[in-house]
Amino acid sequence: MFKLRKAEPRDVPDILRLIKELAKYEEMEDRVLLTEKDLLEDGFGEHPFYQCILAEWQEEQSNEEPRVIGFAMYYFTYDPWTGKLLYLEDFFVVEEFRGKGIGSEILKLLSHLAMKTRCGSMHFIVAEDNRSSIEFYKRRGAEDLSKEEGWRLFRFDKDSILKMAAPAEE
Amino acid sequence: MDFKIRAAKQEDCKEISRMIIELAVFEKMQDQVKISTQELERDGFCSNPRFECQVAEVSEEHKSSQGYTVVGYTLYFYTYSTWMGPTVFMEDLYVMPEYRGKGIGKGLMSKVAQVGKEKQCTRLQLTVLDWNTRSLDFYIMKGARDMTASEGWHALRFDGEALDKLAAEAPKD
Repeated sequence: MFKLRKAEPRDVPDILRLIKELAKYEEMEDRVLLTEKDLLEDGFGEHPFYQCILAEWQEEQSNEEPRVIGFAMYYFTYDPWTGKLLYLEDFFVVEEFRGKGIGSEILKLLSHLAMKTRCGSMHFIVAEDNRSSIEFYKRRGAEDLSKEEGWRLFRFDKDSILKMAAPAEE
Repeated sequence: MDFKIRAAKQEDCKEISRMIIELAVFEKMQDQVKISTQELERDGFCSNPRFECQVAEVSEEHKSSQGYTVVGYTLYFYTYSTWMGPTVFMEDLYVMPEYRGKGIGKGLMSKVAQVGKEKQCTRLQLTVLDWNTRSLDFYIMKGARDMTASEGWHALRFDGEALDKLAAEAPKD
């Protein structure tokens, strides 16, 4: 059986493990550059950049320690048209534990959190070839803004940022 | 024409609200604007601000035909990448039409890059509408990559009834 709870500093090794498993599923595992130290500072320091929910599994009638087998990392963003938003950055359940309703329960908990904190909506991105995830979200009422409204995600990497941030030549 | 880029103050929210609506009209989505100047003030200038804002200001002698001296803005906030760490997300960037072509947009975006760099951000992200070719070209020329085209990323949203329904089914505390 499973239980959902808020992540604590001691969970950072498990969070990083699951981040890497999700990146592997997205076929981009070599892009994870964060360390446990970064995650600890960024999530549990003076100015947290993210919040995290964990899913723990414990076999019935077992004395073993519960195992962390799923997570959702989120933070709050802002839409100048509607106000606060909950942004879901990562959402993953280990393969052997899928199909048990864990993902569904995590999503419901996040929606409840969004309502409680006065967020008008919950946003996230999905890779278009991740058909099973897109179906999961659409079945529950999500809209694909890229497809329906034409929004495209753009990114400047570190080199471009440094270039733009440099003072202009006189 | 000289202009100044500076951090927005609470008093600027009235002008920022005006320009948010102008940008929404340009994006053909003005019916989606629901928040008021008061809510912007509350959310941006409280003890735990939800966003930051920079404005572009011109002198009195260059004020607009309707008398405005605040002629552009950018609204941004900090997000997190589980691969790379802190990121800055530029939610809005807008310059009034009569003030374009003078380097104001570039100035506002550079300011966001500078602020992001100070906060150790490794990425600056934004979304653009696919028909907005002038903006697409502007960002690409400055080094941005279209992640929707190159990696297939789509933006999804739960709101309204769908969000209410999910929330109602959440496990009780």
